[in-house]
Formats: sequence, C-alpha cells, structure tokens
Amino acid sequence: MKKEIASFKVNDRAHEVLITPNMTLSELLREHLGLTGTKNACGAGECGSCTVLVDGKPILSCSTLAIAVQDKEILCIEGLSRGPELHSLQEAFIDAGAIQCGFCTPGMIMTAKAMLEGNPNPTRDQVKEGLGGNICRCTGYVKIIDAVMGAADTLSKGGK
Amino acid sequence: MTEKLSVVGKRVPRWRAHDKATGTAKFLADTKLPGMLEGKILFSPHAHAKILKIDTSKAEKLPGVEAVITWEDVPNKLFNPNKLDLILVHPELEFKDTYVLSEKARFVGDRIAAVAAVDAATAQEALELIEVEYEVLPAVFDPMEAMKPGAPKLHDFAENNISVHFDFPVAWGDAEAGFQEADIVVEETFRTAKNHICQFEPCTCMADFGADGRLRIWSPSQHAFLHRRKIAEIFDMPEGMIQWITPHVGGAFGKYGSLSIEPVCVALAKKAGRPIKLELSREEDLFATEPRQRYVSTGKIGLKKDGTITALQEKIIVDGGAYYTHNFSTTAVNMGGFLGLYRCPNVAAEATCVYSNVHPTGGVRGYGNHEGTCMLEQLVDKAADKLGMDPLDLRLKNAKKAGDPSSTGIPMETCSFEEMIKLGAEKIGWKEKRARKKEDGPKRYGIGIGIAMDVSGAQPFNIQHRNAFIKFNEDGSVNLLLNAADLGQNIIGAMAQIAAETLGLNYEDIHVVTGDTDSTLYDIGQHASGGCYQIGNAVINAAEKAKKQLLERAAKKLEAAPEDLEVREGHVYVISDPEKTISVGDVSREAMYNFEGEHLNISGQGSFSPVQNPPPLSAVFTEVEVDIETGEVKVLKILYVADPGRAINPATVEGQLEGAIAQSLGYVLTEEYVSNRETGALESDNLNTYKVPSTLDMPETEVVLYEEPVPSGPFGAKGIAQGAMIAVTPSIANAIYDAVGVFVTDMPATAERILEGLK
Repeated sequence: MKKEIASFKVNDRAHEVLITPNMTLSELLREHLGLTGTKNACGAGECGSCTVLVDGKPILSCSTLAIAVQDKEILCIEGLSRGPELHSLQEAFIDAGAIQCGFCTPGMIMTAKAMLEGNPNPTRDQVKEGLGGNICRCTGYVKIIDAVMGAADTLSKGGK
Repeated sequence: MTEKLSVVGKRVPRWRAHDKATGTAKFLADTKLPGMLEGKILFSPHAHAKILKIDTSKAEKLPGVEAVITWEDVPNKLFNPNKLDLILVHPELEFKDTYVLSEKARFVGDRIAAVAAVDAATAQEALELIEVEYEVLPAVFDPMEAMKPGAPKLHDFAENNISVHFDFPVAWGDAEAGFQEADIVVEETFRTAKNHICQFEPCTCMADFGADGRLRIWSPSQHAFLHRRKIAEIFDMPEGMIQWITPHVGGAFGKYGSLSIEPVCVALAKKAGRPIKLELSREEDLFATEPRQRYVSTGKIGLKKDGTITALQEKIIVDGGAYYTHNFSTTAVNMGGFLGLYRCPNVAAEATCVYSNVHPTGGVRGYGNHEGTCMLEQLVDKAADKLGMDPLDLRLKNAKKAGDPSSTGIPMETCSFEEMIKLGAEKIGWKEKRARKKEDGPKRYGIGIGIAMDVSGAQPFNIQHRNAFIKFNEDGSVNLLLNAADLGQNIIGAMAQIAAETLGLNYEDIHVVTGDTDSTLYDIGQHASGGCYQIGNAVINAAEKAKKQLLERAAKKLEAAPEDLEVREGHVYVISDPEKTISVGDVSREAMYNFEGEHLNISGQGSFSPVQNPPPLSAVFTEVEVDIETGEVKVLKILYVADPGRAINPATVEGQLEGAIAQSLGYVLTEEYVSNRETGALESDNLNTYKVPSTLDMPETEVVLYEEPVPSGPFGAKGIAQGAMIAVTPSIANAIYDAVGVFVTDMPATAERILEGLK
C-alpha cells in the first residue's frame, strides 16, 4: 500500500509520520506515537473507549482515518494532565471512585471534557445523555456521573 | 469490634487509579516486547467438522510469516481450561476434553490453526492462505435434541452427548416427603440467558521462551499459579520454569478463571522461537471466549398454607456448549444457591450436562448461584401469589438467621436478612407501592424484591490457600507482596488498607508488589469472591508477624516492653507515656544498619486457609414500568441493601454493587447472545448487536451498606464482588411480574417475550 509522510499535531506537539491511507487515528496514536492511553475495545465505533478530541470535538479514533485529521489539533488523554498536575476530571474520577478496571476511563474523560466545554453546568440527566455513547462494563456509571458533576463544579469555580 | 479504625473503612483512592486516569496504566495491548511477533488464530467456520487435510505451505511462504501451527504441532494432551480440577476436593466430576488446537471442530469459533508474523495484518493475510479440507459433520445446537438417540456425537466418551449426570452431592431431608407435606406446590421451567462477560479489554496474551529456557507468560489471569500449573502440564514443563506475569486487567468477571488463548500463544512462541502477542478483536472475543451456561431448569417449591417452605427441588439440563469447562462446578453452585438460600428441611437436585455444537461456556459473575437464586426467587413470588401472601412476608417467614447453615453448609456467624429486608422495604415504601393502582395509559408499574447470599471463597469444596509477605523498607514504608489480580474490584487497595491498619501505618506507606509468580507467594487466585476475606486474613497474619519484630526492636530503643507499645501513623509510642516515641523508619533502618550486629530486615510471611465461609447478603428492591402496547420494560429505581461484613473501602464496595446493577439490567433486558439456528455462527457479534447497557439505560440507584462485621473476617470483611448481581436479577423479574403478571421464564425478557406473555 502506498505510504506517505503526513504531519500531525497531537497534545500540542508536531509529528511527522509515515502513514498508509487506511491507517486509523487510533492506530496512529497507539502504534506510531506510543500514546496507548487511548483504548480500542470494539474497533467498530460502538463503545467510545477510543474517544479523542479533534479541534475540541469528540471523535471515535478507531473509525477515523489518520489522513483526515492532518494538521488538526488532536488531544488525547496523555495531553490532559501537565506533569503531576491533573485535570479536574482526572482528579474527580480518582476521588469519586469512578474507575474500576480503567479500560473505558480515558475515552470517558475525553468525552466528558468536550461535553463540559459545551455545557459547563450540566444537570445529571444531561451528563447521562452526554456520556450515552461511552460504554463501561464495570461501574454502572453512578460514580462516573458523580465525578463529572464534581468536575463541572470545580471547573466552574475556576479550577483546571 | 470496638477499636477505632484509621485506614480501614476510608474512601481512599484505589490502587493505580492515577495511572488509569492519566492513560499511563499499561494493559497488554499497550505493551510490546523487543523482537515480538503478532499472532492470529484460524477459527472454524463450521459448527461440526473433521479436518481431513490442512495445508499451511502457502501461509508459511508469505513474507513476514515466522510460524504456523496446527493440531499436529501442539501437545497431544487433553486438558480442561477450568482450573478447578487442581483444587477441588472431589475432582472426579471434572473432565478433560480440550486440545490446544483441534483436529475436529465442535463449534463455530473452535481453534484450528495459528500464525505468527511480523505484524497482525500479515498474520491475518496468512490465515487466509491456510487451506483446510473439512468433512462437515451434522451439527446439533439444542441440548434436548443433542440427548436424543442418533444425534450427532461431539465427544467419543459422552453417550447421547451427556458428559455427566449428577445429584446434588450434599442434599438433606427427603424432598418427596416434603412435597407430600406441602399444601401448595409451584413448579416452573426456566431457560436462563447465555450472556457474555464482554469485559472491556479484549482478551490478550504474550508469551516468550527466554534464552534461559524459562517461559514467560503475560496474561490477565485470575489464577496465575493454577494456570501456570496447567500450562506446565500441557507443555510438560516444571512449574518453576514458568513465570506468569499478570498486568493490568481490563475487567474479568470470571473470564480469566479459565485458560483462554494462553496455550495457543505458548505453542506459537515455542514454534517461532520469538516472543508472541496474541490479541483478540471484540468479535473474536465474543465468539471464541466463554459466555455463561444456559440452564434449562425445572424448579419446584412446596409450602404450607402459612408460607413455611417444606421442600425444594431442581432438575437441570446444562446447555454447556461444545466443551465441558465449568459445567459441573457452576451447576453445583447453582444448586447450592437454589437449595440453600432459605430454611428448608427437604431438598434435592440433579443435573445433566449436555454437549452441543454451540459456543462453550465458562464461569461468569455469579457462577451458577446467579441463575439458581434467580429461579428460586421468582418461584417464591409465584408461590406468594398463590398463597395470597405478600412476597416480602413470605421471605421473612423463611429467611435464615445467624447459626443457620449458609448455602455452603457452614453455620453462619452473622445473618441479618430480616433487618435488611425490613430496612429496604421501609426505604422504598414497599407496602404503599405494592398496594397502589398500577396503571397510566398503556404503562403499568410494579415493584419486586430479590434476596441472595453468596460466598467468601469456595470453602469447603476447594482447597483455599493464600499467602502474603510484608517487608519493611528503611524509611518505614513496607512492600506488601501478594498474588492478587486487580480486576477492577480493588482487591489490591483493600489489602493495602488492611496492611496499613494492622501495622499502624498510613495507606500511602504500603507499596504493593503483585502479579508475578516469581516474586510472590502461592495464592489460589481470584474466584468465588474469596479475595478480600481470605487474602485479607493472610495479610493480617503477615502484618502481625512483622509488627512483632518491629515492636521487639522498638522496645529496646524505647526501654519498654513490646506489649506496652503501639504503632500509629508511622510512629511507635509507649502507650502509658506517648512522649516516648520513635518513627517506624528509624526502627527499620536501624535494624538493617546496626553496626553492633543483630541485623534484621523486619518482615513477616502470612498464610490463611479458611474454616468459615461467611456469605455476603443482599436484599434488592426494584421498580419498573412496563408498556403493555410495546412490551418495553423500563427499570425506574433499584435500591440495593448489602451486607459486606465490613466495607474496607466503601466507595469501591458501592462500585461493585452499582456495576452489578448495570450487568443485571443487561442480563434481564438487553444482552442476548444469539447463534444462528442453521449454522451455529454467533449473530450478536459486536457491541452493536450485543447490547451492553449505557448510561441511558440506568435507573435511579441507591446503595445502602448494612455493615455487620463478621468475626472471622479481616476487620469483619466478607466477599462482595461476585455475588453482587444475584439478587438484582430476580428483583427485576419479580417487578415485571408485579406490574403485568408476566412470569419471565426465558431470559432476557425482551419486548417480544413480554408481549407474548401478555397474550
């Protein structure tokens, strides 16, 4: 298959990668950039675990071609924290007990981030709605929703 | 227990929560070994077929392919992927019927061949170049058909495809006499759901034979030591030549109670002489790894007019699939749940385990008890209906109390079903809601209850042996060494809390080493909710031994007797004179760097083999709305009252219960594992067709921890994780029965089935 060099901007860093036209974004992140925080649980766009943000919008990286997101702002879970300083959502997920096996967590947090940017003060039902495409097998979602509500509160008070 | 607890009972962050929140936690799919090849498995497209010829030459010639294996390359040795034959006190009902790769396919998805190549795409391409000549055999997909004379036969030893017929080994009383004595008898036949674990991380394994001749396996096993022994037997190796490393586990729920793809991965690594990673896709995980057994089970309950249960009986056909795996063990547990939940003087059960050409089944959360208890709890509601009694009162009438035997037959140290049921009923407004008008247009409303007891391990049926080791560092922190897989249930965090509490240290002072058979002591593994109760006791044992050494050293420094000292938050104090103190770090460091001699690394090895098996208790209340025009069931509210003994970490205990609520919702309403009736191929083949509940399916939930510390438990704790679905499922079914009178016998209760029931 024909390969070409393409440039990407991931977590504020520029990368040039030799890609094939059929390479997915999740493959680019996981296999070529070593950013394995983004997970693949179904490979078919059904579960949300591969969610990353492209220009601030949540997209399913398993069902998105890398070639389509060249030069866009890609943000994945590794770009959310700054060294030891965690994003409010990450803190809230830890504190609320919203993580069990942790496989869905990165996608869940990325979806929540985009949601809170669009709606900084959601109701519980709006959070449920917003996370409807992200499947978790372990938690029953109660503490995930608690965490997102908690993070919304922190962020609206000026937290990071 | 009156002592004040400073770490146990606190909502501290779970072990490695930070890594999971930041994406730095490495699961196997995130890991690569230098020189690693990727493997792919060729699965049978036929439900039943004999391989006449298999030509791998084209696949082997494909550039990038390093190894191709078929049944001819693997040990000619049968095994059972279920580990229990190694620890069952009576293993005679376990059968070995599985090869690493088979010459005969017995279901769509059976393992025929495997390839190792430089990357997954090349391995996939090579699979397509393997030429297999099959003799397609007639197949049978239904256990009733499979038992008929002349049905296609799956395994030579199993006449009429029956692997075994057995009676409940520890029945009591006289069931027939008990039914004679009864005023009413209720009997129903159920078909339980064959649902899939669908853990979120697809099944993955790595294996490598090192230059030192040792085999290293990386796999999210729940039983590293038992599975190591299985691999050692299959590949004829000494156990010590195998190192089993358990990484982060992306959900398990019983999945890794069986060997899954490890034997294929090891066989590929052996042939290729290179490290191998084998990673299933979601589709492969669904069709090629074990879902729950389907039971076709007839349950019978006899009662006096006053509601006293006089007899219980269960006759089970186990639709176990193409291989035996957990058929006996889950079914025996099913019987224990069905027969042992209530006081009943006369019980009997029998089961027939049947092979057919459907996907083989394994141990899934609830492990038989889920289905057995669910059937019983539904029968209890039907009986209450027939007697004109409130189902809640019927339960109270027959509920077990402290001192009664649990479902394992061991007398219970504590048992407060009565208080838990009353508490829940009060909270949810049971009496008013049962009595209210239940209609609004096409909507009908109902409320149901389910209760359950589970286990804290598999005493007395299995060997249950646990070990832990504690060693102090110079700074007064400790390493806690144990082999417990954190499957999401937070066993590691809970063990660190128990160690900290026993030693008088802070939670942060405990650094856990786990997941490596080379550096930890033997442990039977994560099953039957035994971890917290059993390993917790081993940790206390280890911590007490280490603490004794610590206090003896500190006593010399403080010029006091060891028994006059206490340890709090990392410091040793003289109890009568707290001004006299020394840090644990100073004691530990001094013991290592003592230039006058008497060197010591303060440490302790703890062990535990249980006598008791205290059951966690559940009482669950569910409210539903059923649309009689569409058949759609909507769960409105679930209240879960649970007795975990002591919640070591209440947040993670609640998390287990909340997660189980979602899994029960899936089991009852949305998760249907469907195979094609003509071909046997799985139709619910990814998450778009196998519907795991999302946030949008979740009702309002409330969890109440009714903590009654059990004397034999670590700080009073029992197990909780495995049993958490068991009472939820029947509470939903009973709420549907209350709402519309449809008695759900076939799970899941899809809209079609509800409409059918309404006719």
